[in-house]
Amino acid sequence: MNQAPGGDVVIHSERDIVGARKAVRLAATALGFGLTDVTRIVTAASELARNIVCYAGSGRLRWRGLDAGDRVGLELIFEDRGPGIADLAQAMQDGYTSGRGLGLGLPGTKRLMDEMEIQSTVGQGTIVTVRKWRKT
Amino acid sequence: MSTDHIAVLKVREALLVTVPSDPEDATVAALQEQVLRAMERHAGKGLVLDLSGVETVDSYFARTITETAQMVGLMGGRTVLAGMRPSVAMTTVQLGLLFPNALTALDVDRALDLLATPEPDGRRP
Repeated sequence: MNQAPGGDVVIHSERDIVGARKAVRLAATALGFGLTDVTRIVTAASELARNIVCYAGSGRLRWRGLDAGDRVGLELIFEDRGPGIADLAQAMQDGYTSGRGLGLGLPGTKRLMDEMEIQSTVGQGTIVTVRKWRKT
Repeated sequence: MSTDHIAVLKVREALLVTVPSDPEDATVAALQEQVLRAMERHAGKGLVLDLSGVETVDSYFARTITETAQMVGLMGGRTVLAGMRPSVAMTTVQLGLLFPNALTALDVDRALDLLATPEPDGRRP
């Protein structure tokens, strides 16, 4: 898989959520995603960046274009060293919330993207990876 | 401190707010406060939120708007979301966001018409 351009955004306050959205919008648009998919990807990024601010305090978004030869995609990796998610299955349930959100963050975000992987260790942090492939 | 500017305009008997394209959290929170103060000052029939320029609606935005609509309702007004873009509407539904206390309209004109018509059943906030 060839590497298309990428970048990163440090997230440590609510204002950085807007910065993450802008970076992701530029990246998705540059990769040729249509407006609706750009909106889906940016909204997913907003939810995941907000999770970092709400639950971990700070973290980092890294993004990169994916070129798999026959298809083009965008990968976003949200990484924090926060408290971690104790029960991932529960966190993925629609309507579940630890109290600060709407309970839509993770399951809702998964619906907006094509792929989603979560690695989380209690006390060490969380890495959420999402990908969207461009419709050809 | 927010960089976006929010203006609450009185149009006919309603309050009109044009929401910026990519508002930060502080802007959305400021919008709520300004709207409620303006509701009291102008005794408006309701609130029209012009979303036609909005590019991203996430769960924080939805929750704050829902709260605002509920508060406007307690003050005796109705809230109309006007002009949501197709891409935003699709994303909002897929994400699972709900706006239980708000009416909707295709554009600001229709939203103002909606607020000008009397409610058949009165207000149930």
